Amino acid sequence: MSDKQKELLRNLVPVFTLLILVLGIAAYEPRFLRPANLITVTADTMTLFLMASGATFVIMLGSIDLSIQAVASMTSCILAAMLPMFGGTALLVALAAGGLAGVLSGLVVNNFRIPSFVATLAIGGIMTSVAFWASNERSIYISDNDKSAWLDWATGTTAGIDNEVIVGILVLAALTAILSLTRFGRLVRAVGSQEQAVVASGINVNRIKFLAFVISGLMAGLAGIVMAARLGSGSPTLASEFLLPAIACIIVGGTAITGGVGSIWKTFVGALIIAVVRIGMTFVGVTVFAQQIVFGLVLVLAVAMTIDRTKVSVVK
Amino acid sequence: MESILELESVTKEFPGVRALDSVSMHVDRNEVVGLIGENGAGKSTLVKILAGIHRIDAGTMKFGGEQASFRSPRDAFDRGLTMVFQEQSIIQTLTVAENIFLGREREFLRFGIIDKRAMNAAAKVELAKVHLDCDPATKCANLDFAARQMVEIAKALSLDGRIDSDIVILLDEPTSVLERREIDLLFEIIKELKNKASIIFISHRLDEVLQVSDRVYVLRDGAVVHETASKDATITGLHEHMVGRQLDHRYYRENKQRQSLGKPVLSIRNLSIDGEFRNLSFDLSEGEILGIAGVVGSGREAFARCLGGLLPPSGGEILIDGRAVRLNHPHQAVNAGFGFVPSERKSEGIVIGLSVSENMTLAAGKRFSKFGFISFERERAECQRWIDRLRIRTPSTKTPMQSLSGGNQQKVVLSKWQIFGSKVAVLDHPTRGIDVGAKEDVYELIREMAEQGVAIILLGDTLEEVIGLSNVILVLKDGEVSARFEAPVGAKPDQIDLISKMV
Amino acid sequence: MRKPRIPARLSRPTKNVLAFDTVESINWRALAPIGVFFLLCVVIAIFSPNFLSVSNAIRILNASAIPVVLVMGATFVILMGSIDLSVEGIVALCAVVTASLVLNDTFASDLGLWAIPFAVLAGGIIGGINGSTHVYLKVPSFMVTLGIGFVCLGIATAALGGFPVRISDRGFRALTLGRTLGLPNGIWVAAAAVAVAMIVQERTRLGRYVYAIGTDETTARQSGVPIERTRVLVFVLAGLFSGLAGAMAAAQLGQGHALIASGRLFTTITAVVVGGTALSGGVGSVLNSVVGVLIVIVLTNGMVLMGVPPFVQQGVQGFLIIVAVTLALDRRQLLVVK
Repeated sequence: MSDKQKELLRNLVPVFTLLILVLGIAAYEPRFLRPANLITVTADTMTLFLMASGATFVIMLGSIDLSIQAVASMTSCILAAMLPMFGGTALLVALAAGGLAGVLSGLVVNNFRIPSFVATLAIGGIMTSVAFWASNERSIYISDNDKSAWLDWATGTTAGIDNEVIVGILVLAALTAILSLTRFGRLVRAVGSQEQAVVASGINVNRIKFLAFVISGLMAGLAGIVMAARLGSGSPTLASEFLLPAIACIIVGGTAITGGVGSIWKTFVGALIIAVVRIGMTFVGVTVFAQQIVFGLVLVLAVAMTIDRTKVSVVK
Repeated sequence: MESILELESVTKEFPGVRALDSVSMHVDRNEVVGLIGENGAGKSTLVKILAGIHRIDAGTMKFGGEQASFRSPRDAFDRGLTMVFQEQSIIQTLTVAENIFLGREREFLRFGIIDKRAMNAAAKVELAKVHLDCDPATKCANLDFAARQMVEIAKALSLDGRIDSDIVILLDEPTSVLERREIDLLFEIIKELKNKASIIFISHRLDEVLQVSDRVYVLRDGAVVHETASKDATITGLHEHMVGRQLDHRYYRENKQRQSLGKPVLSIRNLSIDGEFRNLSFDLSEGEILGIAGVVGSGREAFARCLGGLLPPSGGEILIDGRAVRLNHPHQAVNAGFGFVPSERKSEGIVIGLSVSENMTLAAGKRFSKFGFISFERERAECQRWIDRLRIRTPSTKTPMQSLSGGNQQKVVLSKWQIFGSKVAVLDHPTRGIDVGAKEDVYELIREMAEQGVAIILLGDTLEEVIGLSNVILVLKDGEVSARFEAPVGAKPDQIDLISKMV
Repeated sequence: MRKPRIPARLSRPTKNVLAFDTVESINWRALAPIGVFFLLCVVIAIFSPNFLSVSNAIRILNASAIPVVLVMGATFVILMGSIDLSVEGIVALCAVVTASLVLNDTFASDLGLWAIPFAVLAGGIIGGINGSTHVYLKVPSFMVTLGIGFVCLGIATAALGGFPVRISDRGFRALTLGRTLGLPNGIWVAAAAVAVAMIVQERTRLGRYVYAIGTDETTARQSGVPIERTRVLVFVLAGLFSGLAGAMAAAQLGQGHALIASGRLFTTITAVVVGGTALSGGVGSVLNSVVGVLIVIVLTNGMVLMGVPPFVQQGVQGFLIIVAVTLALDRRQLLVVK
């Protein structure tokens, strides 16, 4: 099999997995295939996709961002706390806070040369503290007035389609453009493939890494905002359950944690797979509590299947 | 005398290269055997076969009179063939005693617990054999290089009395970083060790080889070309055996060597990196090819990496077009005008996951993008031009880099710097690991680059290559320039002249 | 040849030996955490005199007991250059196992203290799964342990349908609540764990191999160190300690549920790196980690005494991780940081 065919196969496996899962559920419950239902399922998946979309850049570098759930929770708190007083400005501040978390992760990884999984674990801890501080250690309710005034873009509908889906697709398009049409996107792929060669070619690799972490922070921030909008509240633990599925959907989509290989649409497909698996488990009667078990196993298996072992001589 | 280690017609091939070609040699009991050869003569392959890292493809290896094939370095060690490498196999965070008995603690176990006192006492015995007077409970990180080397020899000697067979100790460049006093001591110890073990001594320093060994083998192009008793050998005689082959002038496109050079581009003044090389100075003009010769450890690799921005200099000055430049980071080097072609093509030269055109424009990417967005058509057109011009065999510009042959990959690396417009190309073993036909293409390409006015610094794979391609040759030895040869067409220096300045 | 003579041929003024000053140079890096600990105590004592009371000291030691048991395992994993992110999952699951095996309100069992070996065994088995997946599927440890950790949390939640198991066995709860010689039993258990870990570290092949692998895996392999077996065993060891910690947590809180270990992972990693064990492997010790735990707990205790809101702690710990890792990192070794 040529490299091209292998590549094609690797691209198609997640798509087929998704199709088979959807058809499997449809066999159980034909109503699942109704367009309205499919849109709702997609809409429900978008917060997960938003969180994972930015982190895809980081994983493509061969690094990881374990702070996304903390960042999302933090922005939900900032948004909910600030909306009553500052209105739309709160949106920008929350988003900026997400970006700032990414800035910190990037700086710590680059300048202190700390492996990303520890650096982002630590930054995640700091962000959780910020979230508790911003929310006064409780959930903050977002009033319906504020919601309709400022968060309709996230939770309303346009032409019968949930706005979450539109936001998700816009993000998908924008990030895909960045990844495949810009020099930065290409260098992300290059750094993930063979960092030393990129360094030797005179590229400032630190800048690439920094930007990737900032994008990850921004998208996690956006995910937190949309999540708060959907649930009508912000809380310091709002997104804590999302780290595992977010990373799982990146990997299940076919992006390898060793870096270099991946794309945003893969993460999109991965997010849908995770969502459909979740629905399927509910159909089959697997309790919500047990779903974590499945996702944990899926994560480890997907990593084992997608990892590029030629790249790492010593696995630590 | 009885042979402990016997190799007969040992052959080892790697894709495209025959690293060892029917090598036969033997080591007798209580004998010190010297092993010499130019870089790439096959010494390291031989060492790796003895160490159990590589397997032989054809021929036989006998150890202690029996057919032997070592599965791993540990397997070789357990049977009595032990190595002392220049890159030491000492775990710095463990103690001297723990290192000597690493992986062999069973002897000192009592109900699963290590009896440290017994282990230290046993280590003390081994240390005495190499006259190293230190506490076996010392962490190896607290010892200096010479002492750690002695610990390794002590580890080898610890087999004495623990196994039935004889011991062969292979010392690979053991003197390269030692002080004079330490070398004398090492030689004294080697003389004493002859009572207990046989020794294979590998060194670039021929005087030392002759001083310490009983017999010497000379390797060239993967084959044993000469064997002599040390007392009958002379240094110049060995030099002649190390080189041998005649230069083929057409092969290196000597007719295309530039006779007149352009304006000066690069000046290097007293450039140094602590522990690597000192006070390097020279000037280089457009179209000039400067060859740098030297053995491993002469500092020439470090020099090349320094110009690539990968090893910051510790002193001296680098001027390009009369302007001083700083080389603390690769992007400074690239922007200053250096294009570094590393010897490790697969890890530093190319990005495997990217396509041919993406690799070609990796350095010059800014020229092919607007507001960060890539102009794919412009990029494709430019890359296609270079593919045609350099005769790179690839189905398209979008082909993944890994599906190209080594030679074509190297051409892509060279084109990367030509597209960027580097003024000085630093070629670190540009023909390493590529087949003969592709080598000629690379030589052609180097000549073309010179013709266009690129100044070239070349670290060749072989001496012939350096002599054949260069206008001027600098010979480095122990971090300093030991000679400078003009190499105009028709009056190229002799390989023996060079090698005598190298070792 | 027990006593080789010094060759007479080289008659030099100095003896013909390479002699070394065997007094080890003072290792400031190893001592720094102790200095930090005392400095911290002094500062807190100045702001809050209550800090320096016997009862507060016991409170600090008691709060340190479970973290100390946890870092015993985590230190070995980190010394090897790997990481174990499944701490919370294993602790939670083993706490649930413990609570279900002693006299409780959900299941009909009454094993008493005999539940502890089962909890420890359960931890060891999960550690074995971590280690084998990591080694034989060649998946980086942080990914394996992240996934397996969540699996454990999932099992702990699902097994109980999201509800806690309440322990009604007073005798069992004495494991942490009772006192011996005036000190809470948890402290004694932790002390025993440290003793075991010290023996493993200093006096067994496993302990020595951990350092060898963490320092230079390739060389260790060439010297015949069984890399795969050692790696798996270290994860088993970490699981055993986490299992014990789970039993202690169940005894302390009188129940077992999935969230019982929240925040433990963070404290564990902070303590190990603050104690001076390098994430790159090979450098550090379980004793360092004990000091690390004391630093973290004293800091927490001090902040409580000084009225700092508890939610700040996670942020402070995150900050500590960054500072400690930065200080402990040997940058010359690192070409590429991912």
